[in-house]
Amino acid sequence: MASALPSGDMGAAEANSGNGGQMQKKPFTFNEIVLRNRLTALVVDGDNFCRLLEQGILQAYGLETQSVNNGDAAVELIASGAKFDLILIDMLLPILDGVEATRRIRAMGMRCKMLGVTACSGERERQAFLAAGVDVFVEKPLGPEILIPVLRELDGQV
Amino acid sequence: MENLRQQIAEMRQSFFDEEILDKQFYQLELLEKRGNPNFVEEVLTVYFRESTTLLQTIEQAIETEPIEPVKVDRMLYKLKGSSANIGANKVRNNVTKTRQLVEGGNLEGAKAAFQELRNEHANLRAKLELYFQQLRQACPAETASRPVPAEVILHDARPGDHRSRSC
Repeated sequence: MASALPSGDMGAAEANSGNGGQMQKKPFTFNEIVLRNRLTALVVDGDNFCRLLEQGILQAYGLETQSVNNGDAAVELIASGAKFDLILIDMLLPILDGVEATRRIRAMGMRCKMLGVTACSGERERQAFLAAGVDVFVEKPLGPEILIPVLRELDGQV
Repeated sequence: MENLRQQIAEMRQSFFDEEILDKQFYQLELLEKRGNPNFVEEVLTVYFRESTTLLQTIEQAIETEPIEPVKVDRMLYKLKGSSANIGANKVRNNVTKTRQLVEGGNLEGAKAAFQELRNEHANLRAKLELYFQQLRQACPAETASRPVPAEVILHDARPGDHRSRSC
């Protein structure tokens, strides 16, 4: 049985967009996207559930994914030569936090799209994560209004 | 059967109207429609299993003096993230409130807020269990390797369970 859709447009929804950008209010829409290219993603999250869910979401969009549960493992993976089109990285991570891990990944020359996906919502945290090198600061959850434009860009559909 | 489906639709709508769930839950449902059957139930099963354990651990930490605010905050941070990821709006808001009180050193306030959080979590679980139970009743033609009651689904994921709710 198909689930009944919520009525209306579910109201305006806040969307965090980074790039040093500002908070925007957009109506929620779900746009289908079919990837033309093989895209890979790394999910870095210390919480098992969040890691599995974010991987599941990316896989549903057609990406190939890997995941690690701490910042140090992420840095080591990149240092070993692994390459990704997209990295989702949480801020508070075991062993090595997301801000420092991001800094080290960028210092290695990795220029892929990095989304800082975190439960933190403060402006100070946002600035710190952006300064470390994430392209977009996203307060969890990572919604389609942020993800789909990123995927379109990575897939060359823009 | 039509009455049941109407009831299910109204129940589901009430989750959004009462702001128990937000648009993230809707995204999970849409992702299920993209060819990943049982995605929502599987996600929720894992969420409730892990969040229930986490709540117990947080409660122990809050009741043990002296409280370790950094340790408690880290656990609440995890809970906030996972709750946000399933669209559990009220639970997430309760977590935020509890975190703020812990951070502010208001221990008694934090304990009270934590009890609200536990109650909201239990409320969400009960409502979703009933919802999926009714969905299963409305879709008797589902394919299943082994039928599992909804309350078991949301308590304990069994390896190898694959169910389709298309009907």
